Amino acid sequence: MAPVSLEKLTKVYPNGFEAVHEFDLEVADGEFMILVGPSGCGKTTAMRMVAGLEEITSGTLRIDGEIMNDVSPRDRDIAMVFQNYALYPHMTVGENIGFALKMKHTPKDQIEKKVRETADILGLSEWIDRKPGQLSGGQRQRVAMGRAIVREPKVFLMDEPLSNLDAKLRVQMRAEVARIQRRLGVATIYVTHDQVEAMTMGDRVAVMRAGVVLQCDKPQTIYDHPVNLFVAGFMGSPSMNLFEAHLGEGARTLFLGSQKVELPATVLTAKPSLADFSNKEVVVGIRPESLMIAGTNTNESAKDSVYFEGDVDLVEALGSEILVHFSTDAHRVEAEGMYSDDAEGLNAGSIAQRGEGVARVPPETQLVLGERVRLQVNPKRLFFFDPANGSSLSE
Amino acid sequence: MKSVVSHQASTPQGTTDSLGSKLRRKRKNGVAGYAFVSGYFILLALFGIAPAVYAICLAFTSTGGHVVGLSNFIKTGEDFRFLPAFENIAEYLSIWLASLVVIVIGLALMLHSISRKVSAAFRFIFYLPGALAGAASVLVWLFMLDPTVSPWRLFLGIFDFKNLGQTILPGHLPIIFAIIAFWAGAGGWIVVTYGALNNIPNELIEAAELDGAGPMQTALRIKLPLIKKWITFMLILAFAAGTQLFVEPQLVGEASLGLISPTWSPNELAYYFAFQNNNFNYAAAISVDLLVIGLLCAAVLVFRTKLFEVE
Amino acid sequence: MRIFNRVWSRTLSYIVLLAFTAFFMVPVIWLLFSPFKTDHQLVTENPFALGTLENLGHAVRVMFTFEDYSLLNWLKNSAIYSFGGIAIALIFSIPAGYGLAHTQFIGRRTLLGVTLFVMIMPATALVLPLFLEANSVHAVGTPLSVILPFSFFPFGVYLAYIFYSSSVPKDLLAAARIDGCNEWNVFRRIALPLARPIIALVTFFAFVANWNNFFLPFVMLPNSTNYPLPIGLQDLLSTTPAFNPGQGGQVGIYRPELAVATIVAMAPVMIVFLFAQRSLVSGLLAGSTKE
Repeated sequence: MAPVSLEKLTKVYPNGFEAVHEFDLEVADGEFMILVGPSGCGKTTAMRMVAGLEEITSGTLRIDGEIMNDVSPRDRDIAMVFQNYALYPHMTVGENIGFALKMKHTPKDQIEKKVRETADILGLSEWIDRKPGQLSGGQRQRVAMGRAIVREPKVFLMDEPLSNLDAKLRVQMRAEVARIQRRLGVATIYVTHDQVEAMTMGDRVAVMRAGVVLQCDKPQTIYDHPVNLFVAGFMGSPSMNLFEAHLGEGARTLFLGSQKVELPATVLTAKPSLADFSNKEVVVGIRPESLMIAGTNTNESAKDSVYFEGDVDLVEALGSEILVHFSTDAHRVEAEGMYSDDAEGLNAGSIAQRGEGVARVPPETQLVLGERVRLQVNPKRLFFFDPANGSSLSE
Repeated sequence: MKSVVSHQASTPQGTTDSLGSKLRRKRKNGVAGYAFVSGYFILLALFGIAPAVYAICLAFTSTGGHVVGLSNFIKTGEDFRFLPAFENIAEYLSIWLASLVVIVIGLALMLHSISRKVSAAFRFIFYLPGALAGAASVLVWLFMLDPTVSPWRLFLGIFDFKNLGQTILPGHLPIIFAIIAFWAGAGGWIVVTYGALNNIPNELIEAAELDGAGPMQTALRIKLPLIKKWITFMLILAFAAGTQLFVEPQLVGEASLGLISPTWSPNELAYYFAFQNNNFNYAAAISVDLLVIGLLCAAVLVFRTKLFEVE
Repeated sequence: MRIFNRVWSRTLSYIVLLAFTAFFMVPVIWLLFSPFKTDHQLVTENPFALGTLENLGHAVRVMFTFEDYSLLNWLKNSAIYSFGGIAIALIFSIPAGYGLAHTQFIGRRTLLGVTLFVMIMPATALVLPLFLEANSVHAVGTPLSVILPFSFFPFGVYLAYIFYSSSVPKDLLAAARIDGCNEWNVFRRIALPLARPIIALVTFFAFVANWNNFFLPFVMLPNSTNYPLPIGLQDLLSTTPAFNPGQGGQVGIYRPELAVATIVAMAPVMIVFLFAQRSLVSGLLAGSTKE
């Protein structure tokens, strides 16, 4: 039986705002389930309903098969890691970890033993008598983890537990949290806005926007087969290049701004639904790593490839790779709700009009700023979306 | 297995179930809230609301217990001591508030422009006399105002005061009370104003300097506008407290050999009605007058400034 | 030119600040010096001339034995009223501040608003109404008639409310609930231990307010055995020849003795000031803003 099951879980705030709309989710035994989405998408609210910190407006929540809608948090047998850790500042590390056991009236010697074991797992033994105020961010994060795992709960809930760490530590903890979760084998719901965490840590990922789950699947499946524009743009970094385009008769040509791009016949065979869009507008999507500078790579069969041109605006050499920012005269498309309001304002302006794109190319590639380059992409790696509703035309 | 049965049974009425639960939860949470505030609520009711309500009832009834409308207010208002008492207070307040604005803000700005450590010492010194608020401060100032013993005797000599009686002539009282209030109370306000100045981000002041503003202009054009709400806050609170003057005229009156009226301030007048004339209804009427002033001040602070935005 | 200006304005600042230092400190210093002199010396000698320990001993002895150790009795009364009021105020205001900040109940915002109003209103405005109320239940003259009004301290509730809503995140309490606490334990084990600094702050402000309060005990307590210190001081003032040369000189209370009494009255608050100055400054600010 699934440790956690959500059935049409809905949250409506007193002011009428619907934060979560009919959320269905089953988390399997030992599964690492990730809720990802931009801020305000309802992912944290959904988790807090599972925790019992937020009232459920309608729908049913079950933990281990039992309905939990009305059960108080302390009786749900769940543990939670908070974004700001929520460590008790007046207790030592050991007391913090052991607090839940103390509340359950566990015998003292047993608490001590378990706290010590947990501290060992997390490398906190040295700090066990310190107060949280004397710890570094990474150590506090571990204490928060320790407080959750010492209880051996039915479910772990983690609310952006790594977002307050610096970049380097975050990478390190990402692996560690995933490792601990696998080792304990406890069903886990993990909320994040970071698509890298979503891609790397979870067994499954639910991508949310505006209170609705858009797609819930294995991370690689979501990456390879996004159901719509938003998911396509959200997952992957740098995000997918999305341009407005006009599809020619029989899907053999694509008008990208003023450029006419030839498409091989295989495109239509692979994506039959494109037939309905002959002579119509579409949104075309290309992941940065699918783009190559023509003439620099000999492995790809040049014959099957699709080509278009762009002007090199900016070259970011990252050492292991180069990000080439180019512009075309095709309009760039931004998926709604992907950015915060500020960024959206920027994108709506001149930058978006210029049709900027990004290509990820090998570090040895020679590039000159302002130069016009021919960009090459394998037609299998093209994504097409319906501009009316954003849904994918790739299947 | 038991759990399966139970959840299947309740699935069909999922929504009604959660509706009921919502009510139950609200009540449960509410009960905890009420429990936490109940003790304080009782104190508030007994010693905050009840006396006010009782005073209002008395103010609108006669000694015999009949409702008399505004009669008590009119009669106390027409009393020959009523107007002078409020005039005294008004005179005292205008001096006290003016000195608050000019001197307190001036000193706070000066303290803000010197090194933090030195200013901390000054602030503490200025704040220290606050420990002597009330009767002790009046007593100390009776010594200070007595030309025969005062350390300021040279200064008092300028005005040709020969003895305490001459210093505390009734005409001098508003300024004397303002000095006492300033001595005991200004330090606290200097600390508050300084704190408000300290909350101004340093970059802002540096930006003003880069834009070419001198210390004076920075103070007047950048710092002052940013602490405006604190100045309002200070003035309203000082005004509200100032209307309640009691201990100062009472004690100075003791030392004045009967030169100073026992009904110098409105609160003294109310006290006089209650205890000399045994007319609690008149006393209540004046208390209500003062209560209304206090309430108006509070209302202005709460509704017109943004200082008390509670969530 | 500008540098010249700056030096000038700084010098001017220091002159003004030192002048005000004199204004604020001279009375305190004079007060501390005066019991070392006789009344005659106070009049004839330099105000800051040093006196003798012998004189101090005399003034202290006279003052303390005055009217069968009245001063000690007043001191005791002041302590009982002040701390009695503080104790009750603390017991009720900390949970109330917590309840207002972290629980939901009908009337919460109203209670908060009323608290704000009563807090801003000067406490003296309610003194006569309180007397009328106490009079109607025949409580006038009892210590409780002072202690209970003292225990109603809305500023303390407000301080606790500000502290809980700004410094104690909701997630911390949520964590405790998930860790197995019921509402009482959340308060008892998490919120209350964290309130230690705010308890100190409320105690301080309540202490200063209660200790120096004159009007309320003046109205409530007609009997001199019940006087707290401030009323005692006024009593001394009216019965001694220090300022009223016409009064009978036989009681032996002159200016040095009066200074002793004043020092005794202010010493406790002064000591608290010296020890609590840091938390106090932050409290003055916290008291009026949520930042």
